[in-house]
Amino acid sequence: MMQHDEAYELLAALSLHAVDLEVAAEVEAHVATCPRCQVEFDSFSSVASALGNSVEPLPEGLWTNISSQLWRAPGEKADLPPLLVGAGGEKVVSIATARAKRATTVRSSVAAASFAAAASIVVLAISLVGANNHVNHLQTALHSANRTVVQTALQTPGHQIVDLTSATQKPLAEFVLLPNGTGYLVKATMPTLAANQTYQLWAIVHGTPVSIGIMGAKPGHVSFTMDSSPAPTSLAVSIQNASGATRPTLPLVATGAV
Amino acid sequence: MAVPAANNQAEMNEITNASDAQLVTMIARYNEVALAETYRRHGGAVYGLARRVLNGAAEADDVTQEIFLRLWNQPERYDPTRGTLRNYLLTQSHARSVETIRSLTARRQREINDAHKTARGAYDMQHEAWDVVLAEDVKRALAGLPPEERRAIELAYFEGHTYVKVAELLNEPEGTVKSRIRNGMKRMRQSLAEAGIEGADR
Repeated sequence: MMQHDEAYELLAALSLHAVDLEVAAEVEAHVATCPRCQVEFDSFSSVASALGNSVEPLPEGLWTNISSQLWRAPGEKADLPPLLVGAGGEKVVSIATARAKRATTVRSSVAAASFAAAASIVVLAISLVGANNHVNHLQTALHSANRTVVQTALQTPGHQIVDLTSATQKPLAEFVLLPNGTGYLVKATMPTLAANQTYQLWAIVHGTPVSIGIMGAKPGHVSFTMDSSPAPTSLAVSIQNASGATRPTLPLVATGAV
Repeated sequence: MAVPAANNQAEMNEITNASDAQLVTMIARYNEVALAETYRRHGGAVYGLARRVLNGAAEADDVTQEIFLRLWNQPERYDPTRGTLRNYLLTQSHARSVETIRSLTARRQREINDAHKTARGAYDMQHEAWDVVLAEDVKRALAGLPPEERRAIELAYFEGHTYVKVAELLNEPEGTVKSRIRNGMKRMRQSLAEAGIEGADR
């Protein structure tokens, strides 16, 4: 890694984006671990921004171009039915299965009674698209549609936001729950897991974790519906092997009160 | 600018009066009106910088579009503890513009582009007045630099050159140019601080 003095000398040039990409990456790597350099760099960046802060009238139509790309079709209520995924008993349904089944809108129910006597949870899960930019048209459409669904959920009266945080209170995921028990992942900042691992979402009912479903190694978009009585007291996420588990086999990495 | 309708007047008022940080939180929850308000507040600056670096309206359109779509898709990348939203957006705009200008195609395009004047659109007069004042202060701070420092900074920032390239253009050692940029930026920082300006605040 680049030494402090060398990186420090380049901070001003870096703030002007005047350093070759390869060297810039080394300086940035040092800055990320050096509070002194971070303060200095932020300070120079602020000066650079002031330097470039000259406003010009915006071209007509530019906002329209931007807006048209936010959603597949602006204003469209993409009534994407959450895919009812699952099988009976203790089988955990993978996101991959959900994707595969969406084309035929197969629906099946989950009887989760074996997890908690008083709880019955119907799982609806679908993961639509990864975060990379190389999605195909179908994925793009699904992505946009799902975001519209999430936005609609966030505007639904009586919705509840559930923030899942780590043991150190670091926010890792945010869900919106509707009064009818449907929930959507609003955003997730959890690091990408290895290919042989997955995040798994749990509802905590009477202190017992009940599987809601697998979220994948890099959670994209997840929706589910809980038909649970009594209602869960919290949601939680654990890291499991890619096939999932019927009970968390490792400590929960994030929890949030409902 | 066609702005998506808020659900009601109260929501519109909330968004209009929201801080930048609050707007970003709303954007994270897919509130398109909040993004539109962010665009109204900062779009002109993002576009202005891209246009100045790229010297081309079409490319500046693309950069501006990309910056706001990125904010929409990755709002969590903005860290309010490290600077204002405008600073963040301008940094993004400059980085993307420099990336573009360094491609051969864009360089050629820049050479043949004429400056295009666009019709002035509606703009919040209060912010516009502030922007003019800010620009004057910055101009003054830049003009107050020793000529060799100012030239190095201008070539790097507005022309999109690396400091290595700047050294080549000025026929000076790389270390000298690196120092001039650093010293010039420190002087600018001092001048702006004395003028009561810390970065590109609204």
